[in-house]
Amino acid sequence: MSPSDEKLKSERILNELKMRQRSKDIVDVEEERVKVVTFMCGKNLFAFYGSDIREILPSCDISWVPCLPDYFPGLINVRGDIESVIDLRHFLGEEKVHQSKQLIAMAVRGDFHSGIMIDSIEDVVDIPLSSIRPPLATLHGAARDLVIGEIEYGGEIISLLDVGKLAALIVL
Amino acid sequence: MSDTGDTHLDLFLFSVCGIHFGVDAEQVSEVNAYLGEPCEDLFWFHEELGFGDEAITYLSPTIATIRAEGGQSYRVIIDVMEDIAEIGLYEILPFPPLIEPFALRKGMWGIMVRNNRLILLVDFKLLLREQSHVEDL
Repeated sequence: MSPSDEKLKSERILNELKMRQRSKDIVDVEEERVKVVTFMCGKNLFAFYGSDIREILPSCDISWVPCLPDYFPGLINVRGDIESVIDLRHFLGEEKVHQSKQLIAMAVRGDFHSGIMIDSIEDVVDIPLSSIRPPLATLHGAARDLVIGEIEYGGEIISLLDVGKLAALIVL
Repeated sequence: MSDTGDTHLDLFLFSVCGIHFGVDAEQVSEVNAYLGEPCEDLFWFHEELGFGDEAITYLSPTIATIRAEGGQSYRVIIDVMEDIAEIGLYEILPFPPLIEPFALRKGMWGIMVRNNRLILLVDFKLLLREQSHVEDL
């Protein structure tokens, strides 16, 4: 082999890098990932699909409206749009707290859009779709009707809540 | 412009327990101070709207006489009449879809924002119609 045929060290490294990159791309294609928003509500951590949460609003004035069920604390004014607010604690069987300490996650899915009161935001993380496990068969309590799956976060298993299931629980 | 050709609405504004309401001024025929007289055909606004079980204090109870359908009148006790204001129809927003069915059952049909406050628009004719539907069931 003539010296000119011999690959330079830089070329070998570059090839290796490109091969590694290609194999990573393949892995990325195979591993579909989803964003989830993890948050505290009551004593527990929960998550929503990130695609269902448009924004997180700091605590804001909630205008009470007579005649609404307990799970609707009222209305908020979001830059001129009037939105309903749902108290998630009601559906999770958690004790009510003072509204001024709560954040509001604006949830949108199809025709459903509403603010959802939560205690605090923990994180927004990308997880492999395959890592979402079906809800535990032994899951009990009020949260059961809202859970679409279980995910691992920070070494613990947390419930992934479904905005669609929440919408279905609102009895008009 | 609305189907009726109206572009504005005169609103009779009042509040009850710190919640602000507006009613089409055309529906209000008379306003008098409430002096505590017992009367069977007198209704408390908070009871009609479903404010819940908490005790409600009226600072300045006032009887609003409402022109109801069929030439009838309906007398309701409200609190703190604030203003009569002309507003553009474009200022009125519908209730969010999740809440609207509950609101309509109590005659609340729209919302407007004024001085950073939400004002709930009440149609007493709608409220009375909804109440008669419930009684018919």
